[in-house]
Amino acid sequence: MRTVKEPGAAHSGLSDWYWQRLSAVVLLLLLPLPFYLLTAVYSGNLDQQALLDIIDHIYSRVLHTLLILALIVHAYMGLKVILEDYVHRIFWRVPLIGAMLVIMTGFGVWWLALIWAWA
Amino acid sequence: MAEMIRLSVFRYDPEKGGEPHMQSFEVPLLNAGMKLLDALNYIKWELDGTLTYRRSCGEGICGSDGLNINGVNGLACITPIEGLKQPIHVRPLPSMHVIRDLVVDMDHFFDQYRQIQPWLQTITPVPEHERLQSPEDRARLDGSYECILCACCTTSCPSWWWNGDRFLGPAALLHANRWIIDSRDEATGDRLDQVEDAFRLYRCHQIMNCMEACPKELNPTAAIDHIKRKLLARKS
Repeated sequence: MRTVKEPGAAHSGLSDWYWQRLSAVVLLLLLPLPFYLLTAVYSGNLDQQALLDIIDHIYSRVLHTLLILALIVHAYMGLKVILEDYVHRIFWRVPLIGAMLVIMTGFGVWWLALIWAWA
Repeated sequence: MAEMIRLSVFRYDPEKGGEPHMQSFEVPLLNAGMKLLDALNYIKWELDGTLTYRRSCGEGICGSDGLNINGVNGLACITPIEGLKQPIHVRPLPSMHVIRDLVVDMDHFFDQYRQIQPWLQTITPVPEHERLQSPEDRARLDGSYECILCACCTTSCPSWWWNGDRFLGPAALLHANRWIIDSRDEATGDRLDQVEDAFRLYRCHQIMNCMEACPKELNPTAAIDHIKRKLLARKS
């Protein structure tokens, strides 16, 4: 017999849903740009110096920052839901989500440092 | 000689013990418009009286005979034999506890339905005659009130399979939305409060199995989406 849990609503979930969709829109707009640059490089229309000039530009850095933030937010929301779906024991679920958050934050800080040349 | 239909039917009797298994039957095609329920009735009345399944109206109204038919949930009474790949695999609704053969325990499903408080809630005084509703407001209930609670949608939802103890499921949420959009209901805020939860509502990942499975061709995914938009509008 399935146990009925009725703890009531936690009044959560709306912000996750909102941020996942917002980040999806940002990704939809910005993700094609790096692929466009890559295509330009591989087709020989863009040499290394020209690519660096584009990436170094302040607008590029801002867009790159937006892209990486949206990517991390979107990936975190999606993977969190997958963990919640498949890992049912709180003992495992909470540390796994926490570890994922730490790893993704570290990855984001490292990437932002590269973008803004702190490293 | 009448054309024969081959069926493979799920059998399980916990009182007798033993493992669940599939049993093969052959049933004559009784008429051109024969439905799956007719074949199950033939088995029970002519071949094996121990076969157990739920049925009532036989017309797709009561929602008693929700079954998994060749891997897809549906009502046996309105599913034509014609067009079904043979042998027709007939199983109980997925992710449900089997009481016997094709009969499943619906307690949890109806408990979740009760949780959304499916009745008109008002705070204003009861009018002398009745609570009126414009034809336009009444029309907004189309696509919701037709639900017969057969559980075909909810038991086809992977999110419910994984988190059925907390996720309310498509049927309960379709009904929650039915009361949220009802112009006569005055508990919209409370209703939204009750479902605003990462599991109770937002566990819907828009897989849309519910929409595919619904024998009444309703769209629970759209209803769930409407509740999400309503919550967003309330916060914005």
